[in-house]
Amino acid sequence: MINLSTGAFYERSSSQIGTLRTRAESLQKMIGSGERLERSSDDPVAAARLRTLARGERLAEVDNRNSQLAQADLQLTDQALNSVADIVIRVRELALQGANQTLSDEQRAAIGTEIDSLKENLLLLANGRNAAGHALLGGQARGAAYENINGVATFVGTNAVDPLEIGEGQTVTPGLTGPEIFNFSDANGATDLFQVLGNLAAALTAGGTAASDASSAALGSLDVGLEKVTTAQTVIGSRLNWVDLMDERREKNSERVASEKGDVGGADIALTMTRLQETLTVLEATQASFVKLANLSLFSMIR
Amino acid sequence: MASDLLSIAVSGARAARGALDVTAQNIANASSDGYTRRSLRLEEVSASGGVGRVGDISLSGARIAEIRRNADPFLQGEVRRTGGDLARANVELKGLRNMETALEQSGVYDAMVEFEASLQQLAGDPVDPARRAAVLGEAETLASKFNITASGFDAVRDGLQFDADAEVSEANIIGQEIARINLRMNRAGPGTSDRASLLDQRDLMLEKLSGLTSVTTSFAADGTVAVSLGDPARSFVNGGTSSALTMAVAADGTLTFDIDGQAMNPTSGSLGGANLALNALKDARARLDDLASSFATTLNNAQANGVALDGSAGQPLFSGTTAGTLKVLLQSGNGLATAPAGSPAGSRDPGNLEALRLTLKTDDPIQGVSSLLFDVSSKVAGRTVTQSALETIASTARISLEQQSGVDLDTEAANLIRFQQAFQASGRAMQTASDIFDTLLGIGR
Repeated sequence: MINLSTGAFYERSSSQIGTLRTRAESLQKMIGSGERLERSSDDPVAAARLRTLARGERLAEVDNRNSQLAQADLQLTDQALNSVADIVIRVRELALQGANQTLSDEQRAAIGTEIDSLKENLLLLANGRNAAGHALLGGQARGAAYENINGVATFVGTNAVDPLEIGEGQTVTPGLTGPEIFNFSDANGATDLFQVLGNLAAALTAGGTAASDASSAALGSLDVGLEKVTTAQTVIGSRLNWVDLMDERREKNSERVASEKGDVGGADIALTMTRLQETLTVLEATQASFVKLANLSLFSMIR
Repeated sequence: MASDLLSIAVSGARAARGALDVTAQNIANASSDGYTRRSLRLEEVSASGGVGRVGDISLSGARIAEIRRNADPFLQGEVRRTGGDLARANVELKGLRNMETALEQSGVYDAMVEFEASLQQLAGDPVDPARRAAVLGEAETLASKFNITASGFDAVRDGLQFDADAEVSEANIIGQEIARINLRMNRAGPGTSDRASLLDQRDLMLEKLSGLTSVTTSFAADGTVAVSLGDPARSFVNGGTSSALTMAVAADGTLTFDIDGQAMNPTSGSLGGANLALNALKDARARLDDLASSFATTLNNAQANGVALDGSAGQPLFSGTTAGTLKVLLQSGNGLATAPAGSPAGSRDPGNLEALRLTLKTDDPIQGVSSLLFDVSSKVAGRTVTQSALETIASTARISLEQQSGVDLDTEAANLIRFQQAFQASGRAMQTASDIFDTLLGIGR
């Protein structure tokens, strides 16, 4: 005969009710936090995945900041290039005027003065600063990009701009160095815009037929120089496009990460609510039947 | 004629009173720890007639032959075995869970990611003082997170050792108690209620002991028990003498046990669990220390390969070789050697920083922390499954034992009525004897 021990009945009932209560509480916690995992051991694989995703998210934030920085620098370079192109075009107009044989020496000297001051402007542009306060066109130099050494504008920066990481292992070079904009080769070999402008200004100021000859000769050099500047503008434009493209990619990526995070670690509210309701129903039924059974004692029948 | 109606009735009433007492005792102890349901065995008292008096009636009523204890040694053994396994799983799981908490809640992983992010941010502009300060700040956070984790591990270790120490002295007390019970068992007569309660105490003590360590028992016919503990089994209680269980803590935090100088390994019970948890803790601790020290070495080597903002050679970033002693040495962010060796003061060249980031990417200590966390948490997850299985097994064994040896109040209520009626019936028999006596007295009138 199996003896239905009173102690066993109470022990079994309490453990059943306790289990149901624990389950209901953990479901409630899931709903409250929206997270399926309370601690790593709830699902170690999912938790490890979540950690990796969170790390990627955090690094993407920095990528975002670096990318904004690169964009700002590239835009500043673009603006500088626009101004440089304006100056070169203006100088070309002036050179065209200077080549005119009918001009007097005084008029040519006036043109020379204007070109000289335009050269100064060009030097100021070349020494512009980027968003972080470093030389815009100086590569990795800490100080100015160009220095006036014995009347010659000399590049004192480094030869390359270090590329900047903008996520997914991709980089962008956030700018150009001075020589990439100002240096080119004309009929007489390697030269730069400062030299061309300086020589032209000097020749025009000196006057005579040499002045108009120098003006016509400078036209060819200025054309090459302008070409170099517009090429640089194209490069900057394509880099800006690249940054935009990467921004877009990062945005899409972060959406993907967010949705994967939801899939891996988020609690499905509808499902969790349903399961909670089910657990609560079973718990109520267990409690009710426990009370009924516990009252069912022979002692209450003995009078 | 050897029968006496009155004395037969008296013996019946006495037996019924005894049965009522036992029933009341059962009811009173329905929820006492370790109480086993008692039942009464009644026996007829009669004598066979002597030579030439075969036809005689020689009846003398009933007597209480034995107070029976409804214990099943097999079920009790099962409760001890499964209870020991459950206690081991509980303690091990608790230790592992605390380890997981120490590792996860301290946020060492998050701090490492933040540090990595700050390095990446610094690469954007290596001379920016704000970004340099951010790297140093994150390095300090990271070092203190390592410290917190290490002290969390220490706390887990201390807790486990403290509990184990208390349990060893408890086991010794239980051993002495069992030895005392063995001695008293010899003096208790068989079938008496005294003996039944001694057996209850013995089984309760054995159950408690099996919750602490693995127990091997051998029961003698006289009810005494010889107890051996652990693996290999070392004699702990033999007759009226008990040995001393002692515990020693090794330098790495793990425990060793011996009985009277003979080493043994508790394979179950909470001491077994503490042993397992401390071994797991030792391994995790070594891995954490390794991670901290290799991380510090990587950073310090990188510092040594480069120059600081002022052009001087890079100084070590971290000191300490364990998670608990990791500390940031640099005072200012300007000391971070982002530029390669030979660069002038104020260089924006991020060559050395890039090299460091590449090393960190290849060695990936962050992934190392994550996989340590993964290993610990998957251990916890696995042990949780084991523990809940063992819990089911143990509670099934306990419930079967309770069903077999526990008190059922309904049965006791029925017994109460039954023996009350038996008592009343015996009383009625006495009444009859008195009536017969009166009748005999009345004959002479």
